Formats: sequence, structure tokens, C-alpha cells
Amino acid sequence: MDKVSEDKPHRSLPLVSVERRIKERWIVVLLAVAAAALYAFSLTVPWWHFTLFAPQYPKGLNLVISLTGISGDVHEVNMLNHYIGMGHIDDAAIFERQMAAYGVGALGVGAILVALAVGKKLSPLMVLLGLSFPVGFLADSVYWLYRFGHDLDPKAPLRMKVFTPQMFGEGVIGQFRTIATPELGFFLALAGVVCLGVALVLRRRICGSCGRAPQCRAVCTSLLIGPRAGLPKAAP
Amino acid sequence: MKVKLISALIGGAAIVVAAVYGCSKAGPTPPASVGASTSVKDLMAKRGLSEADVEAALRTYMPTGKLDDYMIFASGGQSGQVLAIGVPSMRLLKVIGVFTPEPWQGYGYGGNDGNEVLAQGKQGTHALTWADVHHPNLSETKGDYDGKFLFVNDKANARVAVIDLEDFMTKQIVANPLVASDHGGAFVTPNTDYVIETSQYPAPLGREYAPLSEYKDKYRGLAMFWKFDRTKGRIDKDASWAVELPPYTQDLADAGKLVSDGYVFINSFNTEMAIGGTLDGKPPIESGASQNDMDYLHVIDWKKAEALIAAGKGTVIKGIRVLPLAVAGSEGVLHLIGESKSPHGVDVTPDGTEIVVGGKLDTHATVFSFAKIKALIDEKRYESRDAYGIPVLPFKDSIRGQAEIGLGPLHTVFDDKGFAYTSVFIDSVVAKWSLKDLKVVDKTPAHYNIGHILAAEGDTVSPDGHYVVAMNKMSLDRFANVGPLFPQNFQLIDIDGERMRLLADMPIGIGEPHYSQMIKMDKLKPIKIYKVGTNPYTGKRDPFATVGGKERIERKGDVVDVYMTAIRSHFTPDQIVVEEGDTVNLHITSLEQSEDQTHGFTINMYNIDLSLEPGKHENVTFKADMPGVYPMYCTEFCSALHLEMAGYFLVRPKGTK
Repeated sequence: MDKVSEDKPHRSLPLVSVERRIKERWIVVLLAVAAAALYAFSLTVPWWHFTLFAPQYPKGLNLVISLTGISGDVHEVNMLNHYIGMGHIDDAAIFERQMAAYGVGALGVGAILVALAVGKKLSPLMVLLGLSFPVGFLADSVYWLYRFGHDLDPKAPLRMKVFTPQMFGEGVIGQFRTIATPELGFFLALAGVVCLGVALVLRRRICGSCGRAPQCRAVCTSLLIGPRAGLPKAAP
Repeated sequence: MKVKLISALIGGAAIVVAAVYGCSKAGPTPPASVGASTSVKDLMAKRGLSEADVEAALRTYMPTGKLDDYMIFASGGQSGQVLAIGVPSMRLLKVIGVFTPEPWQGYGYGGNDGNEVLAQGKQGTHALTWADVHHPNLSETKGDYDGKFLFVNDKANARVAVIDLEDFMTKQIVANPLVASDHGGAFVTPNTDYVIETSQYPAPLGREYAPLSEYKDKYRGLAMFWKFDRTKGRIDKDASWAVELPPYTQDLADAGKLVSDGYVFINSFNTEMAIGGTLDGKPPIESGASQNDMDYLHVIDWKKAEALIAAGKGTVIKGIRVLPLAVAGSEGVLHLIGESKSPHGVDVTPDGTEIVVGGKLDTHATVFSFAKIKALIDEKRYESRDAYGIPVLPFKDSIRGQAEIGLGPLHTVFDDKGFAYTSVFIDSVVAKWSLKDLKVVDKTPAHYNIGHILAAEGDTVSPDGHYVVAMNKMSLDRFANVGPLFPQNFQLIDIDGERMRLLADMPIGIGEPHYSQMIKMDKLKPIKIYKVGTNPYTGKRDPFATVGGKERIERKGDVVDVYMTAIRSHFTPDQIVVEEGDTVNLHITSLEQSEDQTHGFTINMYNIDLSLEPGKHENVTFKADMPGVYPMYCTEFCSALHLEMAGYFLVRPKGTK
């Protein structure tokens, strides 16, 4: 890849035109905005789907998890869970669900800011930031699944060994076969990460040809300033 | 080995299906030889089945999970209930509690509203806990079933019930205060504006006393027009009215449709007005009523009657406006036409142009032409007037012709290809005949003594064809012996081919059904659960409905209100202590929202038994007059912890702590 050292960027500038570099800078902006939009959109659609099959439920029971709530056969699943002393699933992750909209907002703004305003060294942050979203969701979900499967009321009519319901693929709980699958929201978040990944690659390329590389610190000045900022004097 | 046998069977079945299909395409020729595989042939030989039997089995067999195409609503006869039956499987789907308490549905066992509906049916001082259910009729829109409501009459006690097909529950019983019995009901007008109920055995209107010697002067028949309020789903008693009729024994009725909309046709017997008197040496009614060659078909212009009632021409009897017989005669509301003596069914053809009357004691079905009747009425061409001054139209000029059917033609239903199907009681056959030339084209035996007959949507403006069902009064040798009271026999007959084919028998072991109707399944849209807290009788959230966490017991003086919930597998509260003499109001809400998750509820010894379908709310009021300890428990095996779904209802003896 790019082996340009930061203190001598002008020696081996890639042979791309100034116009192209300007264009790429806008693409970085657009990709960051797109990622933020994808995250925002993912707020409105399901993220995960649990289906529970048992002989008495030939059509299955459905739990649809989104960032802001749990819907589907919540009432029925709660009713069934009370037999094993499990809590009401709608009591799970209440704080996370309340904060989801703010979190997504902050994340979107953050992604845009990071894409534009951090220096080259810190630029991978944008992907990490993006990744933190779906990964955080998974981790939090598994945490709640673990808690619900472990905090069982010892006075419940049916006593079960503690367990953690499967977050992905097929599992078995009692007479239920469970199937857990990601839904659109999760894929939207992944798409957001991909956007940021592409943005990062472009960022790195632009940084590689940046005339101000020696001055590069935590905050990038070039990307925020006019289109020609940081570019070397016009080549002969 | 097993797999081989099964696959051979399937192969065999496929071949039979192919043969059946080919044969139905081919038409009238008898079923072609079935190229059944050896194993199917072995099975047939072992069970003594013919190819026709196998074919019938293949046409009616419902593998698990497959659903029927049609639903029959059948009279439950003396049981007082209505039966819901699937077609072509002829499986009993439900016994709907109507006039008789029905414990499984918790109908009439403490639930306030079920009790109230049954109480509406009281005709005097005695609680009526049975009915002679005769004719279920589905609500119609433009002459076609709309699948919303079902009406049914009780011949014995002159009542009509309204069943809401949203939840298959009886919502109303209206007790006719004017007549002593009914028969011609509960037939609907083409848009279900009215539910018609005509009397059977004449009696003084309003059920006053009059000796039989005053029969001709004081005894009367009646055609009741119950106004149906579709938005409320109830009969509006105040908007209902009646037409007084002569004391002939009015029998069946049918409403005109399309061109004949606005008219009702009612036949009658005993125009001789025989009243028996066998101990005095007089002939019994059966012979006294069979002396005249002709009885009277009644033609009522109900739109005219409605206008006269609106204009104040009615006399109020027992709170109901009755158009007097004299007015009905003089204003052209009522006309009579001769019909072969002691007729039975009167059935309007799908296009509304003709009326078919079964002869019963005559071998013919007579086809009356509405156009001819209308012309005679308009021209006032009367043959005579009866003893009450009612104009009688000439029989010969009213009919298109007569179909020679056989001995004892009763009821007629129709298919979509211009054929009529008449039940022939004495011959014990179903006769198929063409409306075009009034010629019988096929007959098939019924086992035995067929009474009513029904066809798929066979009395609407657009019959479906496919099936008729013979409703037989006797089964004789068709079923295993269950003692001297034999089951009745419903026989499903395929009418798609040129020849009718008997497909299946269904024993009815609950009463003697009369009429039934068959509706296409997709017209029915019943709910599967109630919204939590729904009182089925109001269709709304009950004001006493409780939510989880708000259960409580409130005492005001000696009245105890218990706000209770039921969900797998517990009632909350599960301990109730009252004092002897307290009035207890139980308000129980099912919090279930899962299909088919029904709980029952009983307080034993107090005759309290409820069915709590998902979301349903029930109110029960009773006096705790028996001190003691009463388990209250769920009576429907709801869950693995069903037996544990229980609690205690304690009645403390008065004065103790």
C-alpha cells in the first residue's frame, strides 16, 4: 500500500489529480453521512428476531427486538416464562431502549465528525465507532439473555438449570425450539460500518497525499478547510 | 416393509383419484374400473368396500389439518341448540348453546349475561330450558349469505334467537308474546331487514284464554316481522310488527327475493279448522284437517303491511303492533291461493320468479309463478273469498305447472345449474328435477324418511351446487345400536355429476334436527380471541374488567365485589372469604391472548360454571347462602399446571370471625 512517510509526503505523491482528491473528500463526507442515516433508519426497524416453536404453537411465537422495544408475542412468552420463574422480557434493557435514540444520534454525529476532523492516526476511530454499534447491541443482548436465563425465581413452579438462550441460530429450551436471526436493522448497522470502512480507506489515501502531513495531530485541519487545503503546490 | 405398504397405498389412491377425476369429466357413465393397486384392492376386499365407497371416502376424507370447504348450521331439534358441521367431512365442529343452558360454553351457569339471554326467553312463570329448534337462517345481503348472523326459531315456545357469528354465541332471544307456537321461522328478507316468524297452531293472540268452541272467532294465526338492527346485532322489538292471519295452521314460509322481494309466502294446512275432539267421537285433527282438497298458500305484501303499520293501522297487542286480518284483506296485504292439501315446504327459486310448494300428501311439487300471482293481484281477479273475507286467487292461473315427484314431497333446494332437489318423505328419496321442464332426472335413496334437505347456499340468489344433505328422521340400520332412541342421519350427497352420489352418513345424537343451511367457509370471519376484558354480550370492554396487578376484593356492607383475573395457571385472588348471606359479585377477566387458551371457572355446589376464552370477561352474582369450604378451580385442562389452577372460596357461618 501507501508507504509514504508522514514527514515526507511530497516525495512520492500518487499520480492522481487534484480534482480527484477533492472529489474523494466529498465522498468521505457523503459516506459518513450515509452511515449516520443508516443508523438512524435502523432505529425504526427490527434488529433481531426470535421464533419459538412447540407442539402447541405450530405457527410459532415471535419476539421482535428493535433498539427501542420488544414486540410480538411478548404477553404469551412472559406467561410461559413465569412457569420457570423468568422475569418479564419487556423489563429487559429498559435503559438501553430509552437511550437508543440519543445514542444513535450521538453516534451519527460522531461518525461524521471523526470522518472529517480527526488526524490520520486517529482516523481508524471512525470504523471502531461504527462497529461499536452492532457489537454493543450483540453484547448487551447476550448480557440480558444471560441475566434472564440465570436470574430465575427459585420459587417458580418449574425449576430449571440456569441457561443462556441462544443469540444466534437454533437452540432448545424445554419443549421449545428457538430460532434467532438478525433482522434488517442489524444489517443496516453493518452497512453503516462498511460505509465508514470505505470512508476510512479514502481518508487514508487523502491523508497520504496531504501537504500538511508533518503537522498532522489529533485534529485534522485540512479536511475542514477549503478544498485545496493541505494539497501541495500544483505539480509541474 | 411399512414404507412399501404406505407408498403402495398412496400409489393406489392416486390411481383412484385419477379414475374418479376421469369419470366426473365423463359424466353420467358409472365409475370406470379402478386400477387400484393390489394392496388397496386387498383393503377393499377386507372391509367389503366397493369402488364407489372408496371414491366417496376420497371425496370426504379430511387428513389432519385440512379444513372443510363449507359449514352447515343445523337445527339441534329438542336439544335447543344449533350444530356447526364441516362439509365434506361431516365432522361436528360445535354445539352452540342457544335456548338451553350449555355448560361447556358456561352458557346459563352463573355468567350474568348468558343467564340474561336465557331469561329473555321466558314465556311465563316457568324457566324454559329446552326448545324445539326448527329453522336456522343465515343473515343475507342482497339475497346472499353474508356470514354475520344466524337466526333460529323455537317452535314449542314461539321464540327466535340471534347468534352472532363473530364469536358463535347467542346474543338475544326474543319471546313472541302473541302466539302459542311458531313454525315458519326464522326466515329472513333479502337484506335481513326482517326476521319472519309465523305461528303454527292457532291460538288467541296475546295468549289469552278462549275455549275451543270459539276457535273460528277467537283463534288466529300470525306472521311476525322482527325488525333486525344490523349495527346493534339485535332484534329491535319496538320496531317489530305483525300481520294477523286466519286460524289455518300456518306452516313454512319463505321471503321473496329479486323480482319477488317485498313478498312473503307462507303455506298452511287445516284450512278445515279441525280441532279434534276424539273423546267426543269427533275425528282427530289428522283426519279432520285433511278433508279439503286444497289448503291455502298465503301471499303477504310485507312492504305494504310495513307502510300501513307506519301509518298507524296496527292494533297494539301485548306491546306489538298487529295489522288486523280485516285490514290485511281489504288493503291488499294478504292474498290466498289454493295449494294441494297439507303441503309442506314453500321455497322461492334462486331467481325469485317462482315458488315451489311440496305436496306432502300429493305427489307433486307445484311451481307457482310470481309474475302470474302479481298480475292476478293487480287485476283483482279473485276466485272467491275465504270465511274471513280474504281474497283467494285462482290456483290454475297462478301456477306454471306441477312436477311429478313421488310420494310425500316436502322441501326443495336449488343448485347453480337450474335443478331443484326435493326431499320425498314417504318414498325416502331425494328427487332431482329440472326447473326448465319440471321433469325428474334422478332419484337417490335416503336412509330413511328424509325430512328437510339443504344444499350449498341452496336457498340464496346464487346457489353453489356441489352438495346437498338429506336430513333423515330415521336411521334404522345405519348405525350401531344405542338403544331405542336412534340417532338421526344426515347424508351428504354429491351433486356435481349428472347422477347424485351418496358420500357419507353422519349420526346426530342430540335431537331431531329440522332445517339447516350450508355456507361457504370463506364467508365466515369469526374472531379467535377477545380483546382483554371484553364482555361478549356488549362486544365492549366490561366496566368491571380488571388488569393484572389490580386484582382486589371490595366489601360494601354485605356486598362483596371480587375483581379477579385468570391466566395460566392461577386465578388472582385465589382466596376469597365471605360471610354467610353476603351477595358476591365475581368479576373475572381472562388475561390470556393466545388462541385456544381457554380456562373454565367453577365454584362447586353453587352451580357456577364459566368458560373464559382468551380475553373474555364474565360477571357472576350470587348469594353465599351455604356456609362451608368450596374449591374454585379451572375446569378446562389449560396447562401442565391446570390442576394447580385453583383456589378456595370460603363462606364463614354468620356471626363467626
